[in-house]
Amino acid sequence: MHEEPYRWLEAIQNRREYIVDQIKEGTPVFALSRPEGVLLLGVGSGQSKIFEIFDRHGLAALGNPVDIEKLRQTAIEAAHTEGFNRSSDDVTLRRLVSFSLSPALKNSFEQIFSPPNMVESILAEVGPTPSKDAIVRLRFDGNHEYSSSGIAVASPVWGTESIAAEWLRETINKGDKLGDVISLCLTAWKALNDDNLNDGLKVPKKKVLNIPGKTVEAVLLDRKPKGNVHYRSLDTSDL
Amino acid sequence: MSDPRAMNGDFLSLLPKHPFPHLEQLSNQTSTLEATTVFAFHCKEGVLFGGDHRATSGNVIFSDSTEKILELDERSIMAIAGSPAIAMEMARTLRTAFEFYRRSQLQPMSLAAKVRALSRLLRDNLPATLQGVGAVAPLFAGQDGTGDKAIPTIYFYDPLGANFEAANYAASGSGSGHIKSVLSYLENWGNPKPADMDLPVSVNLANRLLMTAAEFDAATGGVKPETKSFATIKLLSKSGVRSLDANEQMKYWKAN
Repeated sequence: MHEEPYRWLEAIQNRREYIVDQIKEGTPVFALSRPEGVLLLGVGSGQSKIFEIFDRHGLAALGNPVDIEKLRQTAIEAAHTEGFNRSSDDVTLRRLVSFSLSPALKNSFEQIFSPPNMVESILAEVGPTPSKDAIVRLRFDGNHEYSSSGIAVASPVWGTESIAAEWLRETINKGDKLGDVISLCLTAWKALNDDNLNDGLKVPKKKVLNIPGKTVEAVLLDRKPKGNVHYRSLDTSDL
Repeated sequence: MSDPRAMNGDFLSLLPKHPFPHLEQLSNQTSTLEATTVFAFHCKEGVLFGGDHRATSGNVIFSDSTEKILELDERSIMAIAGSPAIAMEMARTLRTAFEFYRRSQLQPMSLAAKVRALSRLLRDNLPATLQGVGAVAPLFAGQDGTGDKAIPTIYFYDPLGANFEAANYAASGSGSGHIKSVLSYLENWGNPKPADMDLPVSVNLANRLLMTAAEFDAATGGVKPETKSFATIKLLSKSGVRSLDANEQMKYWKAN
């Protein structure tokens, strides 16, 4: 097959379509840079979508749970090895993504005879100020892009996440509290999940802090933590 | 007659003719760096750790700003006495291991596993301990879980890695004998006993213990409230580890 470029391209294309088809049942995850820190949000039914990676780093992912786990373990191992060999300040999102995660995902995607990694993700790093935060959208094929607006959405349906991210960017005000931001994210989550972006993306009259029958996972990478660990789970009932 | 195997003028053949006396002299004279007195005792709020800031090398005060009470994670503390180079590396290894385990396994490491992890590091340090250049005799305290079910426990170790649970208190380092004597007295005849003392009283006791040890042991750095120079004090309570800074200690000292 490798001697025939056309068949290889076709195989890659088939693989891409297969992955997109496999993860379409997943639900969106969000990351937003706020004055308090970086907010990571996901909605699930039993399975976690938000994870701690290192002191200042978190992961939000959707897709096959086994593949999410593989990505999570790779990220944790790479971050801790770097943190132990050098220092926790040397663990940066840019290096983690560029030198560990992205090449591994790309390599896996192009190995057409082995099972693909079916995972879409966002990685975030909290900085001393919002302008120093880093949020990166990492795709299943290793492609990645940094968010310049401080907002990233990962959605299983191609093309919808930029609409939701743009709406959040226009709707969220600078002074909004975390509860308000979570409410808007959950509104966007519902619109994406119901495939109702035209009518669903509207500011709710009453704050939305839960989704019936689902578990809302909200985590803050706290800008001012008590110790070294910035990762803090938020109880939405307190917001 | 010279050794026929030796090349003319090589290092080994020249060494007997021109010995390097300073080398031997230096190795005999060099004292290893040591961190001194640390202790821990149960108080009403949890386990209180105290330590001075002094590191010595023989009769030389190497530093008077050494941190010897080290937070490993939000549920465990290690206090170091002995070779700081090795002890601090042990603390760094444990800190990374505990956090790596918690993040990768999505649950904290159990207290028993943490106690054993430190034992293993001490045992792996056996060659340096036997050579007399890297012995470490740490104290450790930790707890499983948080909230009302969390019960902080103190452990002390011998330099070869054996661990022992301390019922009420433990101390290590050159001034530990004096501190253990006072704590033993208070445990038997004190009113209140250290375990019944609230936080301000416990903090003042910790500072006084170090003042007492410094009276008799030159390697123990003292406490000077008049210059706002207090002990390093950390509290392990049901809500986790907390450091008590000099301002807080001064407040308790003045209120006393």
